[in-house]
Amino acid sequence: MTNTLIALSINGLVWGLIIALIALGLSVIFGLLDIINLSHGDFFMIGTVIAWTVLTTTGSFWPAFLLAPLVGFVLGALIQRIVLQPIRNAAALSIVATFGLSMILQEVVRMTFGPTPRRILPPIRGTFDLFGIDYEIYRLFAAAVSILALAAFFLFLHHTKLGTWMRAVRHDPETATAMGIPAQRVYRVTFGLGFALAALGGVVASPITTVDFRAGVDVLPFCFMAVIIGGLGNLPGTAAAAVLLAFLEGIISSFATPTVARIASLVLMSAVLLLRPQGLFKGLTK
Amino acid sequence: MIARTTIERGLLWGTGAFLLSVPWLIPALADRFWVNVIAEILIWSLFASSVNLLFGYVGLLSFGQALFFGFGMYGVAIGVEKLGLGFWPALGLGVAAPVAMAFVAGVFAVRLTWHYFAIITVVFSLIFYFLALTMKPLTGGDDGISFTLPSTFRFGASEWGFAQEAFQYLFILFTVAACLYAMRRLLGSPLGKAFMAIRDNDVRASLIGLNVYWLRLIAFVIAGFLAGLSGALFAFFGRYASATYMFYHVSGEAVVWTIVGGAGTLLGPLVGTSLFIVIREVVSTHWQHHSLIVGAVAILIVIYAPRGVVGLWRDLLDRWSAPKS
Repeated sequence: MTNTLIALSINGLVWGLIIALIALGLSVIFGLLDIINLSHGDFFMIGTVIAWTVLTTTGSFWPAFLLAPLVGFVLGALIQRIVLQPIRNAAALSIVATFGLSMILQEVVRMTFGPTPRRILPPIRGTFDLFGIDYEIYRLFAAAVSILALAAFFLFLHHTKLGTWMRAVRHDPETATAMGIPAQRVYRVTFGLGFALAALGGVVASPITTVDFRAGVDVLPFCFMAVIIGGLGNLPGTAAAAVLLAFLEGIISSFATPTVARIASLVLMSAVLLLRPQGLFKGLTK
Repeated sequence: MIARTTIERGLLWGTGAFLLSVPWLIPALADRFWVNVIAEILIWSLFASSVNLLFGYVGLLSFGQALFFGFGMYGVAIGVEKLGLGFWPALGLGVAAPVAMAFVAGVFAVRLTWHYFAIITVVFSLIFYFLALTMKPLTGGDDGISFTLPSTFRFGASEWGFAQEAFQYLFILFTVAACLYAMRRLLGSPLGKAFMAIRDNDVRASLIGLNVYWLRLIAFVIAGFLAGLSGALFAFFGRYASATYMFYHVSGEAVVWTIVGGAGTLLGPLVGTSLFIVIREVVSTHWQHHSLIVGAVAILIVIYAPRGVVGLWRDLLDRWSAPKS
């Protein structure tokens, strides 16, 4: 009993870190562009598909860690330019546009990759002894990669010119433009980065979950929960909420079904929305 | 030069006449499965109208209308299959359950606006989607509940019910038409004007003495009624209920249909729903990847006709009928 509890809560922790990566992308896009991006889960899915494709063509898993964020960035920037810039980030229209985008992305993957889910073996095999249970080494590696990527992203946001621009445009787009910051380009880069993060999350998660054209449909609500509970646009809060939620769901799954765990976190989310719409962590983290 | 209203009135009468004659016209001209496709379009446009009432007239974007659609479906299916009800009591249950649910959900949801409202509605619908999946004995879980149709009317030996295709179609047509007409009357009434005042500026609306919270709640319950009734009709139409219709994709489709057709216009949802279901039916017989086209159409309309197909049509008519300068 305690063994399964430990295993499930650590699983939750690992999964939460991966979700934090994806939700961070969602939160950046939301905070800066005011877009509820319904195609975000599909970029996670595209990340897993890229991982599978790289593994089957080159025989090695590792290039996917470079390729997927790159593809995600380029595709995200292109989509911002072609689809979202013409509608000037109008919120209701962007929901329809990203819903349409989600359908297209899923269908393209279904056409090319096929409708059957596939599995990827972890590139690092083997288990080790963790409080008396055999635990996969790859999962710890996945957690480490996620932490590294999260740290790198926060460093980028606070210590580079582009990151400062992003924060400035989010704070006040008009003043930022008046100060000579190319707001449109910042929007494009932000969207690209958001998608790159989701695609990276897909690569990291691909040996843990299945590679399936519908994978994004399940991930999307979970990411939204993290964004809401962490506070819309509050990036550290989002990351913390993702870990907390997955950890909680992991613990609840040890004595109830995963569906009950999901219901519990949805109820928690409604309570947060109604009682603290600014997020759980407002005031704790700036 | 013909005035815009004359053209639109003519078009409306033409569409009405066509819709009335469908059960006899379609089997004579085309494959008779189109009768059911048109019936399905009518049901889904009633569903989209519930999104339209909230978003187009009150300014609340609901992403969780599938919750009430699902309650309508389950109300009918559980009423017939588990409680042994006849057609009318089951229909009543299929309407009462979503209306009650809309009231309870609305008490909380309409305290929030905009993004938060969109998200809390989707959260509520997801909670009940997952609940429906777990409560297998009541809801049938993934498989859903199938039931045998009760008859609608019985006069002595003759029976009328959804088993007769023409009766089923006309019943759906009259129900949907009655709802749209009632919605038109509602929007012309002081209540409807109050809705639109809130949509345009909720602060100003409250300053002139409107109770914004109550008005939003009333709109939310009416929208729940429309969505629930469409779900109840769809349950009778398909003879089953399933949790899959409560998933957020169903809500999302209604939002897309409404905005693509033209939010804030009475017939926008009908136009948008027809467009997408006809594309789906025509393309899917030739090519299995019809989602590509549906997605592309949604994106193109949003970029080039942000006020939807009805908005585009009005702009064209205005340009055409305007005096040349």
